[in-house]
Amino acid sequence: MTIRADDRLLDGAPMRPLCCLRCGAGVEVRKASWEQTSVQWSAQALGACLERQAARAADGGAGGLFEGCTALRESIVRAALEGAIPVPED
Amino acid sequence: MGLAAGRADPAWHAGITRVLKGWVNVTAVEASTTGVRSIEAEAVPTRFARGWHCLGLSGRFKDGKPHTVNAFGQKLVVFQSGDGGLNVLDAYCRHMGADLSRGTIKGDELACPFHDWRWGGDGRCKKIPYARRVPLRARTAAWTTMEQDGLLFVWNDPEGNPPQPEVAIPRIEGAGRDDWTDWVWQEIVVETNCREVMDNVVDMAHFFYVHYSFPTYFKNIFEGHVATQIMKGLSRPDARPPGKGPRMLGNTSVASYHGPSFMIDDLTYHYDDMDLKSVLINAHYPIDGNSFMLHSGIIVQHSDKLPGESAEAMAHKLGEFILKGFDQDVEIWKHKTRIDNPLLCEEDGPVYQLRRWYEQFYVDVADVRPEMVERFEFELDTTRPVEAWKQEVEANLARRAAAAGRQA
Repeated sequence: MTIRADDRLLDGAPMRPLCCLRCGAGVEVRKASWEQTSVQWSAQALGACLERQAARAADGGAGGLFEGCTALRESIVRAALEGAIPVPED
Repeated sequence: MGLAAGRADPAWHAGITRVLKGWVNVTAVEASTTGVRSIEAEAVPTRFARGWHCLGLSGRFKDGKPHTVNAFGQKLVVFQSGDGGLNVLDAYCRHMGADLSRGTIKGDELACPFHDWRWGGDGRCKKIPYARRVPLRARTAAWTTMEQDGLLFVWNDPEGNPPQPEVAIPRIEGAGRDDWTDWVWQEIVVETNCREVMDNVVDMAHFFYVHYSFPTYFKNIFEGHVATQIMKGLSRPDARPPGKGPRMLGNTSVASYHGPSFMIDDLTYHYDDMDLKSVLINAHYPIDGNSFMLHSGIIVQHSDKLPGESAEAMAHKLGEFILKGFDQDVEIWKHKTRIDNPLLCEEDGPVYQLRRWYEQFYVDVADVRPEMVERFEFELDTTRPVEAWKQEVEANLARRAAAAGRQA
């Protein structure tokens, strides 16, 4: 199977770079609406994330589910509210 | 205060360049002059996914008989040796090609029905009753097996490597415990390629149209060999008869595929007077490129409101409910076509990113690329009304305008 690209990233907004206000991890973010958010992490960004490190330490490296970083979520909300991450209007 | 873009981060830069290149190439191929969107589909893959595959409840293989399992484009035999362990071999005897799953278990070995050649769980011929010596090369394919939580798993790897500990199937809380029900387990053959069942991980809209639930929060997380779907949903009142017994308000589901075929779903049903905890398994193994065996299993936790027998009854009821859900999927799958280029709207889930993740199981370990395993999140949260967002933006703009006015 060939890996194909998501048309929506060409026809609509692309993923945009954003740094977490807490740890500085550089990720790519896209919002299709106020409700929807996509985040592409790199291995490096994941390594930098403090909440991720804390979660890994807490479960003793068992590799349990990390639902997401609240600081990054907050950073994305602020970026969206300030216009740094565009949000398509209806 | 603005946000600093990550342009100084070299990994980010390499990442975006890689992704952009991928888009440009694919777009050139997809460009069409007719204006009609064409459906594209490559042939189904010729290899089967690397990973653990569940063959169902282990107990059913422990009746003293060999069992036929058609999987990975082959016929396999499952048998329990004298030591209690479950073994999986290629079903065809290397002597004259007879079907070992029609044979007999004799002690630690499986005896061929044709000439009584005795095969061990390690795949080696141990004995030929009428021969003085076993010939050289009398060895058949043996598959690595694992029994856990009442389930039998088999490891498939086209490269022939043993399973890595990082991809182990996690233990299931509640399985085999006295305060949970036994497994209610069901299996059905589905006549299509197993990629169709995987797409459900991201397909939030189909839960409304096909399964009559109403997601208010939805999240996908792909990372490493795990793909997760978190969903909080409300029951659709238009799809249920009113009155009669406790009212189901909705459910919270945290479901993860651990590898290409085994999903554990921690599923809590919220009623007006209680929460009901259950674990749902959604698993499959490919029979061949065009069919797969779909398994669903469920256990339910006992509670004050739901002691032993009621919990068992509830597990059966939920099992039927889930099977009905699968029937709804199967009805779609039976008649749909394979599509590599689904045309998505902004409200759809991350189908392409899921398939990018899924691809890691179809290439050699050495060819697994970072984009297949790097963490990706897709979240839909409808719990905060759009109006609230807009008001906050307005307030920001007003504040900015006021500040600008002061400076002027």
